[in-house]
Amino acid sequence: MRKMETAAASGLPTLLEHLAGFARALTDAGLAVNTGQLMALCQCFTCIDIAERRDFHAAARATLVSRHEDIERFEAIFSQYWEAPKQLVIKRRQDDPEDEDEAADKGRGARLMLPGGEGSDGGERKSLRLSWSPDETLAQRDLGTLTEADVERAQRLIRDLVAALANKRGRRYAARRHGRLPDLRRLLRSRSIYLADGICPLPWRSRRISRTRLILLCDVSGSMQRYSSFLIEFMYALRRELSDLEVAVFSTHLTVITDLLRTRGVATSLCQVAERINDWAGGTNIGGSLRQFNERHAPHMLNGRSTVIFLSDGWDRGDAAEMRGEMAKLRQRAGKVLWLNPLLGTPGYQPLTQGMQCALPYLDYFLPAHNLHSLSQLAGVLRAIG
Amino acid sequence: MKGNREESRPFGSISDIEARFAAEGYIADRMLATTLFLSASLGKPLFLEGEPGVGKTEIAKVMARALDTELIRLQCYEGLDSNAALYEWNYTRQLLELRLQEARGVDRAHIGDNLFAEEFLLQRPLLKALRSEGPRPPVLLIDEIDRSDEEFEAFLLEVLSDFQITIPEIGTLRAHHTPFIVLTSNRTREVHDALKRRCLYHWIDYPSFAREVAILRVRLPEVELRLAGQVCRFMELLRGHDFYKRPGIAETIDWARALLALGVAELNTAAVDETLGCILKYRGDSEKLYQLGLPALVETALMPGHDPAAAAKPPA
Repeated sequence: MRKMETAAASGLPTLLEHLAGFARALTDAGLAVNTGQLMALCQCFTCIDIAERRDFHAAARATLVSRHEDIERFEAIFSQYWEAPKQLVIKRRQDDPEDEDEAADKGRGARLMLPGGEGSDGGERKSLRLSWSPDETLAQRDLGTLTEADVERAQRLIRDLVAALANKRGRRYAARRHGRLPDLRRLLRSRSIYLADGICPLPWRSRRISRTRLILLCDVSGSMQRYSSFLIEFMYALRRELSDLEVAVFSTHLTVITDLLRTRGVATSLCQVAERINDWAGGTNIGGSLRQFNERHAPHMLNGRSTVIFLSDGWDRGDAAEMRGEMAKLRQRAGKVLWLNPLLGTPGYQPLTQGMQCALPYLDYFLPAHNLHSLSQLAGVLRAIG
Repeated sequence: MKGNREESRPFGSISDIEARFAAEGYIADRMLATTLFLSASLGKPLFLEGEPGVGKTEIAKVMARALDTELIRLQCYEGLDSNAALYEWNYTRQLLELRLQEARGVDRAHIGDNLFAEEFLLQRPLLKALRSEGPRPPVLLIDEIDRSDEEFEAFLLEVLSDFQITIPEIGTLRAHHTPFIVLTSNRTREVHDALKRRCLYHWIDYPSFAREVAILRVRLPEVELRLAGQVCRFMELLRGHDFYKRPGIAETIDWARALLALGVAELNTAAVDETLGCILKYRGDSEKLYQLGLPALVETALMPGHDPAAAAKPPA
């Protein structure tokens, strides 16, 4: 053991340099390595023989990797670096696979505006008479027909709707004046129990209020885009009430846009979203998009408390079996699954589309979402779930 | 300093771990053995991830047996809080003590002075692990950390980084000796990076064919080599497909046990059909298997090509 340590000490500068280079190669490939991890690896050298390749490899992997998804990339970099450091070609992480197509589709995508803006089929949208309509009438109007002035008032209405939405009792306890359970710990720490003759006010505790996590999956293909942008607007208005809101949009594939929404206002970011998603308003592959969500995002977004909200009319050109399978997986992971379908507000509508048929068995709620009134229903449902 | 470290090392070498685990009936590959060795030598917690049923929890149990020490287990669930994980005051005893003191006529000014002493403390797993007085450090298993919530993770981070716990009424309690900590996760959600980085990470994959046969033979010595090979081959084939819950080693062992109980000497479609509940636990998965064609799969599993006799020989 001692012999090995002296050997390591004499070779220290080069070894450290190599390690730093290796760490840089990993970082460049998108595997963030911090100094703490490198130090942990160096600590490992005191108890293994670093000349033994497999042990060195195991130690490096145990200390520098902390996610299963990273293992494959780590292995590639490891063998490249330690076999031929000079020839290492660093593969950068693909941050945005849509990059190349982005420019081409700018023109089409940028047309996305708030509902009532430059929508694709806006024949009925301008109506001077209704633009001063009272809120009740506004609440019944189809979201697709709202004018810009309406949108502003609609947003106000939305905020009024949702204040109580996200309140929910958690499983942890907090002291409270009118709680459900006596707080014995506080009782024993207070002096009152020692002073009164067995009669003293009881402190109470109750479940702390925790907040619902919502994941919004919005269909942005074809006719759905105006409803989707409105729902995103709606949910975004809720973000202060929700500790967690994740938003993803899909058509042929799925893109998470939470970060974008966070840095910009809703209106600007929706335009940017349109730039980022080149298939905005294209065909729909719900099953494939959902698979993408389940594989890439579900593990860190979903827990037993999260509620997944779909917004789609269920027109699906993808594989029905795949969609059923992915819905089942989603169902297992999420607390509640809701589906909003704007068409449900149409009298006589039957959910007969392939996508709807696949999804229905896995839903907790199937709700309309075509006007503000139905959104207020949604708020009620979310409160009930909480 | 150096002598100290040598002393605190519970295992002499990586091969020592392999041997001691094998003696306890756990076939660990070299990578796992190295990670275990490092974890034990450096006193860093071990973070184990993998699909359900690949033997994550078992590692902690075997580790406790191999080290001949106590296993302290904390099963995580949503809403797990410090009362259940760390400590709680024994209120009943505290109240009784108050009444006793009153009856004894203790001076009012001093009544209840000793209520928050260690004797009224109920130790929950984490505190128990830190306060363990055994001759050797205990093994602390924090099972299925992915089931707990983020709040608990943050709390755990504090405990794992300093190995100390602060109880407001008493003060800070330090660990007598650093316990060997194993965290497991089934990846139903992503555990925060900060927590993982305090640990050594190891991903447990499904075992290779040869290793699975070896594991099966160790766990169920009465199973014939021939059947063991067929069972493991069938499992290997199954795992090549995309099921909602792919069967793990636990399922392999259960299944082999079921086949033994039914007196099946060689895999056949009827036997698989009868015992399918041991392997696939979801209706959708069983349906999928029938769609894939059960008889064809069984036939492939029976085909020669894998030589279990060679594979099952223990490595030199």
